[in-house]
Amino acid sequence: MRQPTIAYLIIGSLLVLAAGLVVTVGIPAIQATEPSENAVRYNEVQQRGRDIYIQEGCWYCHTQQVRSVEADFGMVYNPRDIGPESVPGDYVYQKPVLWGTNRQGPDLSFVSRRPHANATWHLVHLKDPRSVVKGSLMPSYAYLSDEELNALVEYLLTLQ
Amino acid sequence: MTLWNFAWPFSSSVPGGRVAESPAPEVTQRRQDQASRWFLYSSVFWLVIPGLAGLFMAFFLFFPVVSDHIPMALRPYLQFGRLRPMHVNLALFGWLSMVYAGSMLFIVPRLTRTTLFSEKLAWANLGLWNATIIGALVTLLMGLNQGREYAEMVWGLDLMMLGCFGMLAVNVWGTVLRRQERRLYVSVWNFMAATVIIMLVYGIGNVVWDTSGALYGMNDAILNYFYVHNLFNVWFTTGFLGMTLYLLPRLSGNPIWSYRLAVWGFLSVWTGQHHLLYGPGPEWLELLSVSFSIIAALPNIAFTYNFYKTMQGAWAKVKEDVPLRFLATGCVFYIFTCFQGVAQSFRNFNAQVHFTNWVIGHSHLAFVAAFSFMTFAAIYHILPRILGRDPFQRRMMEWHYWLVLVGLSVFMMTLWTAGLIQGQNWLSGGIPFIKTVEAMKPYMFLRLAGGLGVAVGVAFFAYAVLKTMRRSESASSVAERSQG
Repeated sequence: MRQPTIAYLIIGSLLVLAAGLVVTVGIPAIQATEPSENAVRYNEVQQRGRDIYIQEGCWYCHTQQVRSVEADFGMVYNPRDIGPESVPGDYVYQKPVLWGTNRQGPDLSFVSRRPHANATWHLVHLKDPRSVVKGSLMPSYAYLSDEELNALVEYLLTLQ
Repeated sequence: MTLWNFAWPFSSSVPGGRVAESPAPEVTQRRQDQASRWFLYSSVFWLVIPGLAGLFMAFFLFFPVVSDHIPMALRPYLQFGRLRPMHVNLALFGWLSMVYAGSMLFIVPRLTRTTLFSEKLAWANLGLWNATIIGALVTLLMGLNQGREYAEMVWGLDLMMLGCFGMLAVNVWGTVLRRQERRLYVSVWNFMAATVIIMLVYGIGNVVWDTSGALYGMNDAILNYFYVHNLFNVWFTTGFLGMTLYLLPRLSGNPIWSYRLAVWGFLSVWTGQHHLLYGPGPEWLELLSVSFSIIAALPNIAFTYNFYKTMQGAWAKVKEDVPLRFLATGCVFYIFTCFQGVAQSFRNFNAQVHFTNWVIGHSHLAFVAAFSFMTFAAIYHILPRILGRDPFQRRMMEWHYWLVLVGLSVFMMTLWTAGLIQGQNWLSGGIPFIKTVEAMKPYMFLRLAGGLGVAVGVAFFAYAVLKTMRRSESASSVAERSQG
């Protein structure tokens, strides 16, 4: 059997890749997404806090994505407090999104809706997690400066 | 497998079913292969560093209080959230990718009966690659992170990584274009395709046209998991198959059973969204990705059949020949990875295991149990051929094999069990989250114990490779003197 040329093989494979890109990335992208009521335009401090959230890798252990199977059902402290199902509109101002793939800690999409999660609690929790949540795996972030911690708290307060 | 396989030439074996072997004199080859050799040495270094990071993380998850007693000045750099991207990126782009590159530089000239296109380019490639990985180590520990999985490296490093793949592609393609062997063996096609297409996948997936390396909103997640899946698909799987189809006939002594089966690929380029099931993404995209994931079972069955047919009559050798045992074990784990991947893409099963420790078990099944076992075999096979003698002791290889196999099996099975329990706990409702964390304690201990086993096994491997490095200098000077 004659072998096809290298060019033929490579062009064929690139076409398959291009088709995959168009269908699975391109088509979803052309559908405009309206911001939902949970979408937040970050101010400077909140954005700084979000950058620290990325820098310290918070998103490796906390997701920000409530799936339909657990929405208004899952439990963090109290039944159903995981929050409502996440929708595309929640994320329109986020770059990158921080959906996450693993939960060593709970989902944080709506962390600041939980009654105790005010600024003071967040600050204490970030500095010494096990003083407020016994058995927590979270590292202490006491090494961050006060300015950094405050920005991070400001960001966490937008998650509601 | 790979997306370009539909147009694959079915008669890519050389006449007689034997793989083409370079007739070039050993000495020329040996001088030629030095860049390849140093790629392999570097890769082992880049296995040890992320391995240690992994051990640290397993320790923190079992015993989090320890992190409160680290000196404040060191804490940022030994923190889970910074160790984790370092662990992943160095293991993927340092360890595995550098073994792949070094092996390609060794294998392609032999399959094309010529010398490498440019040894100088290969050295430059090695330098750039190591610089990139050193950069990744430093920046990721400093917390410079783009916030996207497998795409954490900052913009400059992304460009350097693209340069690494590009230089490798030039060398692979350049060698093929001046080949003396008319027919191209199936592995060569794999390497040619992988080195070119990874640049596209990497460049697009990392959003290199934007220095922030991300998009806005949902599209960011969709593109991210397109990239995550195709990095696995286009680079790691394709490279794995190319190297396996080269190594398996050599180590087992049998020709590949069927090239027709070997070239069956799956359209896995469509399946990225199966990482985001029940998420905010479009429903139709989820269903599409699930459908293609199920179709992917077919080429897995083909690979499985081909592997067992090729190994027929060679299983007795597995007892004696440790590199072959590594390779065969890697293939079995690869088959397992693919079928586990298909299972995970079923939505009801995914609902249970997504976000749990199961996922970590799965990623180690793919990257350690399948791909790394194959690359261990590759290093044990290739290094002696570059050095012109076999410096590896059977006893050391046995320790390496059994410690890693047992440790990793404990590690993975623990995480799968833990994941099923976690998933069940979350979906049952009515259990406070922290209780589901506390329930993980015994599993985190077993995971640490398994991880320790792997670490000791890898230490045997690293020591064995280190010893070849020292002795080989004197051996090669002896060889040169006898020549002169």
